[in-house]
Amino acid sequence: MTSAVDLDFRPEVPAFDANAALGRRHDRRVAVDDAAGLLAEMDRAGVERALVYAPHAAAFDSAEGNAGLLETIGDESRLVPQFVCNPTFDDLDATAAQIEAAGVRAVRMVPTLHHYPFRSWVVGEWLEWLSARGIPLWLPASYEANWHDGDDLDPHAVHETVLQFPDLHVVLCEVHYVQASWAPPLLRSLPNLSIEVSRYVIVDGIARLLEIVGAGRVLYGSRFPEQAIAPQLYHLHRLGLNEADLRAVCGGNLERLLGMSSDG
Amino acid sequence: MDSPVIDFHSHAGSWGRYGVDADCDLYLKVMDAAGVDRTCINCIWFGDARRGNDLVMEYVKRAPDRFIGVAFATPHYPEEAVRELERAVHGLGMAYVKIYPDYFGRPNDDPAYFPIYEWVDEQEMAVMCHATYPFDPPGTTIEGRFTALSDRFPNVRWVMAHTAGAVDADAAETARTLPNVYMETCSSRTTLGATEFNVERAGEDKVLYGSDMALMDARQQIAKVVTADIPRRAKEKILGLNAIRLLRLDDPSKGGAA
Repeated sequence: MTSAVDLDFRPEVPAFDANAALGRRHDRRVAVDDAAGLLAEMDRAGVERALVYAPHAAAFDSAEGNAGLLETIGDESRLVPQFVCNPTFDDLDATAAQIEAAGVRAVRMVPTLHHYPFRSWVVGEWLEWLSARGIPLWLPASYEANWHDGDDLDPHAVHETVLQFPDLHVVLCEVHYVQASWAPPLLRSLPNLSIEVSRYVIVDGIARLLEIVGAGRVLYGSRFPEQAIAPQLYHLHRLGLNEADLRAVCGGNLERLLGMSSDG
Repeated sequence: MDSPVIDFHSHAGSWGRYGVDADCDLYLKVMDAAGVDRTCINCIWFGDARRGNDLVMEYVKRAPDRFIGVAFATPHYPEEAVRELERAVHGLGMAYVKIYPDYFGRPNDDPAYFPIYEWVDEQEMAVMCHATYPFDPPGTTIEGRFTALSDRFPNVRWVMAHTAGAVDADAAETARTLPNVYMETCSSRTTLGATEFNVERAGEDKVLYGSDMALMDARQQIAKVVTADIPRRAKEKILGLNAIRLLRLDDPSKGGAA
């Protein structure tokens, strides 16, 4: 008996992880917390590059965490930094200067953790700047920590706010099956919204997402180091996608959003 | 891969709350794409266990070479439980027993389950359930729980659902030390290093692949085993050979599912 299981799996297309964290956490020890360890796991999984943010930037202080992320990455071009911004307390001008100085190509906001409504009267100025600069925004559907209850992102607020910034690219990330009730209609209603699928494990769920929004708005991500890098990549290779769509989902869409070429 | 792949943990029926339909065609399509040869399937979603077990049999009858029926029993109706198990196992040919204490509000070592376990013990069959519950008394350990159950029901083979999808030293140690206790892999998380940890701690003979279909996708769930950093032989055992041994699928005369 021979099955479709591929124990020697390697990605058939270039893989670019759209959701990885890098650095130590304060609330627990993660299995991999440095660049060398992350790169080793990427090599084992066959992933070429990863967009990485610092957990410390989300959990404690964005400026400190973002600066630490750049130190951790050093000159490793396979790791692409993503800054975490907290629009309630961070200074936009100062953050913008840091983003431009470091050549940062993506930003993450965590309204569920930072306790603010994702409304234009809070984030409007920031979204306007991101939109003008062509910098995409990542929004986790929830944020889990030992000390945080993991509230869900408010989809109504996302809908109303993102609708006002049609040129801003937003990536909804870490969407669990309990959020599968509202994520597809949200995607359908916002053409500038994409989804990262590290936690999207509901049966045939990714195929249904592809039917709704097409391959251009679905992004492979791992949620490393909480999760392993390879499993969702393997899953994507079992969906029967044509090569162009597989290439887009596994990395091409992220490259496009970040304004990067395939060689970095 | 040349050895068979058996999914130890899946569910039949619709679960509209999560957009899950009772769609046997989709089930088979996903199994084919994942490389799953046979799926152990139960239905825990009805207060009337008979109705759920009959629904399982619709899948089994549709594709008898692909689905292995699993019997559900509920202590909400103790007067029906053993009779329904007799029907499901001896009448319908189901391979093991699934219980879901979360719906009962009492953990799996509650005495209300003992009549079910006594019957399973007589049949020398397997029972699958979660290992911990939100309503566990303080101080509960998995090892303590399953040691007591194994002592009382020595012929039952216990499968701790979801435990191999996480890094839990208590669960792994329980599976390592108790010969009749096994771990199963499905989880909405693909926790980094979980498969490796459980193979190292519990042993490659004690871990079973499961998907939690039709909630979660078998193509995604199987990936945590396929891509794990463990020996090839360990993967083959987890993906099917351990289930064949546990359910005696290679020898129906000894009580396994035909």
